[in-house]
Amino acid sequence: MSELVRVTDVTKVYQGGITGALNGVSLSVEQGEFTAVMGPSGSGKSTLLNLIAGLDRPTSGSVLVRGIELGRLGESGLARFRRDHVGFVFQFFHLLPNLTALENVLIPAQLKGRESADARGRKLLETLGIPEVADRYPAKLSGGQQQRVAIARALINNPTLLLADEPTGALDTHSGDQVMDLLAHLHRGGQTILLVTHDAKLATRHASRVMSVMDGKIVDDARLETTERPAADVVRVRGEE
Amino acid sequence: MLGLLAEEPLHGYEVKNRFESMLGGTWEVNIGQIYTTLQRLERDGWVRPVGSRGDRGKLLYELSEIGRKQLADWLAQPDSGPQQLHEDIYVKLLLATRVANGGLPALLARQKRAYLQRLRDLNQLEERARRDGRNDLARLVRGALLHTEADLKWVDDLMEDVHGGKAR
Repeated sequence: MSELVRVTDVTKVYQGGITGALNGVSLSVEQGEFTAVMGPSGSGKSTLLNLIAGLDRPTSGSVLVRGIELGRLGESGLARFRRDHVGFVFQFFHLLPNLTALENVLIPAQLKGRESADARGRKLLETLGIPEVADRYPAKLSGGQQQRVAIARALINNPTLLLADEPTGALDTHSGDQVMDLLAHLHRGGQTILLVTHDAKLATRHASRVMSVMDGKIVDDARLETTERPAADVVRVRGEE
Repeated sequence: MLGLLAEEPLHGYEVKNRFESMLGGTWEVNIGQIYTTLQRLERDGWVRPVGSRGDRGKLLYELSEIGRKQLADWLAQPDSGPQQLHEDIYVKLLLATRVANGGLPALLARQKRAYLQRLRDLNQLEERARRDGRNDLARLVRGALLHTEADLKWVDDLMEDVHGGKAR
């Protein structure tokens, strides 16, 4: 495995004491890992994700993604980095309402100047189980469908890193499960994923590594065993009598 | 046991097998325990034997009218009374806060990992249960997941206390 992300002693200070600040965070993520970053709201976990995504800059410290030092990039360099290396999935989908699902999926591809991405966009929607929504507008789609469109958009440029910030937070349980299963499926296909969530059940469902963030610090970095265990070793309705 | 016998008359081994299968292997019972319970239920008139001993000496039991009434009453009764905390960790954490150098932060960190691993295992079990169409087991596991989430939240609370130097 090779290292994909290296965050070194990163601090993020917000003026006026807004929550979400980071205080000396270091971590590294290997290629192909499915990592969950877990913590309460305001703990800084989303800030951390935004720094790795190049959506925000740290106050001090460095962020390296695939050997690229993000601090050295200017605004256009950062935009290029995001387009080429990062797929981002948000809690509230962030689809453009006046574009169809397919047009939304193609936004990053068109930025890249590839007009022939159309077929790939449709193929992605098919892979994600929603080929029928391609020509519909977001307002006509369910939350689960909108999030899958957003995932297709995140994947259109084959990102190095897929970042998801509470991707099931606005969905009902069933749609949320589908989205999580989809992430697990992508991970099995080799996709590196960083998932941010406050929900421990979600964090431990597919991720084999769970980092806990509290008050701007990583307080724990747990690697979980993934071997299936017999029911009786996992839950016992009543102990020995 | 009454609930299983309410479905159809069964002999001791069938009660054991159905019981364990209903609970997806999460509660193993000893056959001796089944027989003693059947005898006690028969003595109290809640169950009665059907016919005489069949092949290999097996005796079928069915529910009596009293047994049926007892079952209905029991099912209608919500689970009340004090919250049962069975796990050592509650006592360990209490002691760690009292004993000087009890190593509370390290204890909390280890416990948090254990809960995360348990959540992971329960998640996998729930998924397997659903895949196998075992919705009853999936429901049971869902309950266990929620309990573990609560325990984890408690450990997180304590960690936050320790973090802020408020632990006593």
